[in-house]
Amino acid sequence: MTNDNAVLIKVEDLKMHFPIYRGVIRRQVGSVRAVDGVSFQIHSGETLGLVGESGCGKSTTGRTILQLYKPTAGKVFYEDVELTALHSEPMRMMRKNIQMIFQDPYASLNPRMTIRDIIAEPLVAFGTASGKEIDDRVRKLMGLVKLDPDFMLRYPHEFSGGQRQRIGIARAMANNPTFVVCDEPISALDVSIQAQVINLFEDLQKELNLTYLFIAHDLSMVRHISDRVAVMYLGIIVELADRNEIYANPVHPYTKALLSAIPVADPEFYETRKRIVLEGDVPSPVNPPSGCRFRTRCPIAEDFCAQSRPEFKEIAPGHFVECFKWDHPDNQRR
Amino acid sequence: MTESTPTPTGDNRLLAEATSDRKISWFERTLGPDNYRIVKGLFKTPASIVGFILIVLFILIAVFAPVIAPPVGNDPMKIPRDGFGGKPKDPGTAWKKNVPEVPFWYEPLTGKTEWVHLLGTAQGQYDIFYGIIWGTRTAFQTGILVVMATVLIGVILGSIAAYYGGWVDNLIMRLTDIFMTLPYIMMALIFSAVLTPVLGRSLLPPLIAMISFGWMGYARIIRSDILSIKERDFVMAAHVSGVKNGRILFKHILPNAIFPTLVLASLGIGDVVLGFAALSFLGIGTEVGYADWGQVLSFSRNWITSLDKYWYIVVFPGITLTLFVMGWNLVGDAMRDVLDPRMRGKT
Amino acid sequence: MINYIIRRLLMVPLLLLGVTLIIFGMLQLLGPVERSALYIKDFPKNEKQVEGIIRQYGLDRPFLEQYFRWLTGFKNPVTGEREGGILFGDFGYSRTASQDVVDIITNRFPNTVDLALWTVFPMLSVGIWMGVKAAVNQNKFFDQAARVYSIIGTSFPTFVFGLLLLMLLYAKTQWLLPGKMSDWVSQLVFSGSFKQYTHLLSLDALLNGRLDIFWDALRHMVMPIITLSYISWATFVRVTRSSMLETLRMDYVTTARAKGLKEQDVINDHARPNAMLPVVTMMGSSIAGLLGGVVITETVFNYPGIGKAAADAAAQLDVVTTLGMAIFTGLILIISNLVVDVLYAFIDPRVRLA
Repeated sequence: MTNDNAVLIKVEDLKMHFPIYRGVIRRQVGSVRAVDGVSFQIHSGETLGLVGESGCGKSTTGRTILQLYKPTAGKVFYEDVELTALHSEPMRMMRKNIQMIFQDPYASLNPRMTIRDIIAEPLVAFGTASGKEIDDRVRKLMGLVKLDPDFMLRYPHEFSGGQRQRIGIARAMANNPTFVVCDEPISALDVSIQAQVINLFEDLQKELNLTYLFIAHDLSMVRHISDRVAVMYLGIIVELADRNEIYANPVHPYTKALLSAIPVADPEFYETRKRIVLEGDVPSPVNPPSGCRFRTRCPIAEDFCAQSRPEFKEIAPGHFVECFKWDHPDNQRR
Repeated sequence: MTESTPTPTGDNRLLAEATSDRKISWFERTLGPDNYRIVKGLFKTPASIVGFILIVLFILIAVFAPVIAPPVGNDPMKIPRDGFGGKPKDPGTAWKKNVPEVPFWYEPLTGKTEWVHLLGTAQGQYDIFYGIIWGTRTAFQTGILVVMATVLIGVILGSIAAYYGGWVDNLIMRLTDIFMTLPYIMMALIFSAVLTPVLGRSLLPPLIAMISFGWMGYARIIRSDILSIKERDFVMAAHVSGVKNGRILFKHILPNAIFPTLVLASLGIGDVVLGFAALSFLGIGTEVGYADWGQVLSFSRNWITSLDKYWYIVVFPGITLTLFVMGWNLVGDAMRDVLDPRMRGKT
Repeated sequence: MINYIIRRLLMVPLLLLGVTLIIFGMLQLLGPVERSALYIKDFPKNEKQVEGIIRQYGLDRPFLEQYFRWLTGFKNPVTGEREGGILFGDFGYSRTASQDVVDIITNRFPNTVDLALWTVFPMLSVGIWMGVKAAVNQNKFFDQAARVYSIIGTSFPTFVFGLLLLMLLYAKTQWLLPGKMSDWVSQLVFSGSFKQYTHLLSLDALLNGRLDIFWDALRHMVMPIITLSYISWATFVRVTRSSMLETLRMDYVTTARAKGLKEQDVINDHARPNAMLPVVTMMGSSIAGLLGGVVITETVFNYPGIGKAAADAAAQLDVVTTLGMAIFTGLILIISNLVVDVLYAFIDPRVRLA
């Protein structure tokens, strides 16, 4: 399912380090390497799923791409424009095209604003509409996300979690963006609501021709919505492939462990499948292991894994892995 | 809009059931959700209602002072004196010299046609009743003025510190620490004493003194609130939506940050009036004979050994002062309860 | 941990600098005649003397130079002695009290300490006890009464309360007395036979074996102690109560009960220690405040501590004296706050890591 469309987003060796200050005079003694050299591309119209455990840096990646944090190193391109090189005002203008949906539906809406004002805010910020036009646009947007427009003048606290998330989506769609970063948009919702919201995401993508970076930690949900999937661990991408390929033929030991942990509602399959349990805890992002980062928990690690970081290698068309032993007999494909 | 309303499903159905009948009054809509909650909270407990009533009562007294206690002479803020005698007179003693006009309510309420000293006089024959009635105006003036000024200074400094961060933040916070180290009453006392020869004896020296040493609490609270709100998702969302920085500060951050400050401020009026009365009591503050509760109370200092005899110099202004402060404290407490989860731990 | 203490210590000179600058700044609002009291005893008598003094002590020099001089003092060309100099303990001369300011401080501060000493325990214990009891008996009579008390207590002005106490317990009945010592006591104390070990009257009385003096001292202190305490009680009750209520709701308290512990043990061993955290901060600042000289209370009861000394000087517009006292008080507060902060860091681990 490799996309032949134009590349919309290009990320080159993106790094985001947060400094740590200690000591009497607050010197910088180190940094949290939340994102430590990440590169990928997203094609127009596709959904790239970004998965990994908590703290691996996926949310930070999303926010850094949108320049909500200023990257420590690396470049981000939107079409031909290098976002990382833009000053604040030109970057602000770009925000018509690139948007974000937040994880916490309770915190992402200003409790003191009516949802009409919340959804209209991007319109006002760019003067895209004014006066009565605004109300019309807001109504349309609310209809788009299947909210009753008559509730326009209510406040966020009067809505449920799923509805607030829709309000956030409506807000994001206000200026017709092309690229949307979805930062774990359904993690905070009840399971029964999650499916509805995901369906909404898919419908909108078809209707408005959107490109998504979908960040999540629920692998089965990611499987449903993504065209390609990237797996992150400790600030780097360890595997990137088409959705079907990665679920059928995972190569990186970490990916395999993650996939083996997905609950499946089939008791027989449950019995027979090989469950990979990782030992140890995630190392601290302040001091990642030398060489291959995963080696401290990897079931097939060897001495040479500590010496240098493996290359992010394309081992099959569109299938990238960062592992020395990608074709090693120990590391059999499932 | 020509599309028909979609049939409610899932969340929407719940919403339709739960909230479609909820009448949101015009009142609630104009005030906004937070303000409405606060106003409602004001009337929740009997304590807060009492506080509210007290405040209204005092407002009425201040407004209708000329009717309740018709002024004698040009300056109503100078307590009228019945002669210059040295011994205080008991409540009910007839008023001989410098008698004000008799207001309309006097005869029906007291059954007398001539003025008496309703609450007695202090030495120098200052009428206590007048001192208390007109002192209400002084209380409101000083309380509101000082609180507004200190809140303004505190909010400006706190906002600048939170917004710019870095060395600016550090500098302002160190300054706040230094000011907070100094004992409030003593510094207000001293500064007031320093200013009196420079500015003359009036309301000004104690006011300036109190303002100079009273802004720190607000600065700290606003700063910490702004810092925590800055990290909230909806601020980042505004950023992503393309809203400019200045607008984010004024439309998103400040309105949400201002609430704990308001609660502190409402409690502050009580404290300011207490402090001002203390300064007057100590002899620093308004001139002798100015209509101010602390002033009237300071007269009692000459009669410590015979306080049982001249109890009225202490009791009447004392009770008035206490009730005034209590009203504001009750209201402030009620407001704090409304915002309770956020205010816990901040006394 | 050490880092925290060091950082806290480093703030002390900064605070001192700031405090002295502010105070000195206030001094500058006065004319040179008043400011000369920093260095000499008498009022200058005529224009020429005024000029001479201005020149000699640099009273018209730039701000920072005057500030430096104020800190270090001058060398008198005639006598060779040092005059002035805060850093050397010369706070100037009080024209209203006819003593060096330092003498005022050394005479009066022990009295304030004496009072503070006897106030600490009642102030802390009663308030906390009330708060805990109120929380445990939530919404029952004790709780309601305690809450009413806390509201009235925080609204009642200290000096009115003090005056009422005087009215009831002194003016009418003479049970308790204002001031510090009765006349017969002062005669004894300043005669040769009474040894001043600590300069704290109550302790010295005990050390001299004079119980009668001891009782007299206490009799004078009871009213100020109650006055100082009642407002702390009112605030403590409220803070302790709400902190205790919050703690009692915690899961670990429920667990303790489920384990089968006696309710009394649950409260004493599990709930109360954790609920005390916010209360301890308050305690710290209350104690620090006591030492800072409780101006109003001392004035109402005519108690000769530094608070009253400052108030007297301020009322007579003797600014040099008041500023000297302000510096001293500031110093005391800086030190007490430091001690409190460090102690607090021992109790609450979260503070150290900040």
